Amino acid sequence: MTARLIMKLRVEKMRLTTPDVLHLQLVHPLRPVLPEWSPGAHVDLRMPDGRVRQYSLCGDPDDRSRYEIAVKREAGGRGGSIWVHENLREGSEVHISTPRNNLPLSDKGKHYVLIAGGIGITPFLSMARMLKRQDKDFTLHYCARSAEQAPLLAELQDVCGKNLQCWFSADRRRFDPAAVGPYDENTHVYICGPQRLLDAVQSALSAWPEEQVHGEVFQMTVDENFKPEPFEATVASTGQRLLVPADKSLLDVLRANDFPLPSSCEMGVCGSCECGYRDGIVLHRDKVLPTSKRQDRLMLCVSRARVSVTLDL
Amino acid sequence: MTEAFAHPAGSIAVAKPGGATRWQGKLLHIHVAPSASYEMEELQEAECIAGRGIVGDRYFEGTGTYSPKPDVREVTLIEQEALDALSRNDPPLQDGPITLEPRDHRRNLTVIGVPLNHLVGRRFRVGDVILRGGRLNFPCKYLEELLGLPVFLPLYNRSGLNCGIERGGIIRPGDVIELLDQ
Repeated sequence: MTARLIMKLRVEKMRLTTPDVLHLQLVHPLRPVLPEWSPGAHVDLRMPDGRVRQYSLCGDPDDRSRYEIAVKREAGGRGGSIWVHENLREGSEVHISTPRNNLPLSDKGKHYVLIAGGIGITPFLSMARMLKRQDKDFTLHYCARSAEQAPLLAELQDVCGKNLQCWFSADRRRFDPAAVGPYDENTHVYICGPQRLLDAVQSALSAWPEEQVHGEVFQMTVDENFKPEPFEATVASTGQRLLVPADKSLLDVLRANDFPLPSSCEMGVCGSCECGYRDGIVLHRDKVLPTSKRQDRLMLCVSRARVSVTLDL
Repeated sequence: MTEAFAHPAGSIAVAKPGGATRWQGKLLHIHVAPSASYEMEELQEAECIAGRGIVGDRYFEGTGTYSPKPDVREVTLIEQEALDALSRNDPPLQDGPITLEPRDHRRNLTVIGVPLNHLVGRRFRVGDVILRGGRLNFPCKYLEELLGLPVFLPLYNRSGLNCGIERGGIIRPGDVIELLDQ
């Protein structure tokens, strides 16, 4: 479990990078230096009504004076991006958490393939900067409708040069996962974008070891066939036994029992409410914990258990 | 002076006037946060409301994190001396010195010359405001995670004092702090 400090940052500059994507530069009104971050990290943006949304940092990790994010207006979304587009202006103040990285760049690769769909490009701009600085071999595949609708395209062309390959559907060029090439033990693949792009690439690379294929989504786990069942949670430190009914999450029940726990997205994608567990069969349902950690860690917001679980709290 | 008194803790303490009763302290900084986890904001003037807290603070608004133990947390205080000890790495419980700025430690008032551990159950004044010492604050892992610094061990037994407000009013940095009854 990790708590993150929430800062009040000022929108210093704001511009549309495409007709529906706002690029924001955020600075601290008092501090010249912001907390450090690494490529792939995101911040939580907190809206006045308590909603929280995650946005990848797309600036330069070496420039600690500002954070940069890009927000796509999603007309059919849950309302967060519309709030950003309609309410933030240069000079506005907005609550932003310190960064967290659920998609860190592996230092083990010799070659990196980054595959972005639309607004999924945001974590890769900073990754590309770092790979270029480290003189690593990389290819960035960028899928979008057209050049006009490809966020941050000018910056990417500047950073990546010939390492950027654009796949614009308006030009009848569609990305084929076969472009990744055959399996190579020194290649790490990163995917960020719509679920169908993740599914297509992950299925094309299903024979690759999991540690070499990294993906990030900002969408809820959707499993219409899942039927939540009640279970019992035991708090290891106190022995307290709590019943988690089918219609409540572990997080809800713990909070109702005076455990002040941090959380953010509450849909299993941000990693804020990670918690250890000792025994029990856990039904994970999140999209952030790697398989290697699922034996003893869970996400309190979406994970459930069969019959019972003992939490390291 | 023997060698033991030349130790930083002893030599600094011995140069300060006062003791457990005849001390006179000073308010250095006032900080509030609107909710748990939010960055602390420094105030040049704060309004304390009896039985409630500092206007604009999470413990006034009821949006703070609360210990399940019996507690009064209308205002929290910490000694500048404890922060100085951390920056001297005294005692060396972690890898090296830790600089904890007044905005970082998440207590409302940073004070100097005030023996907080002696003020449990006692009344004392900060400017015109009267506080009563409640439970000694306990360092928590939450603060470590929030700061990304190993402050749990070095703050043990000097993590500050949770207080109730008996008489409200306005406080400002520079206000005198004194014991009211013994």
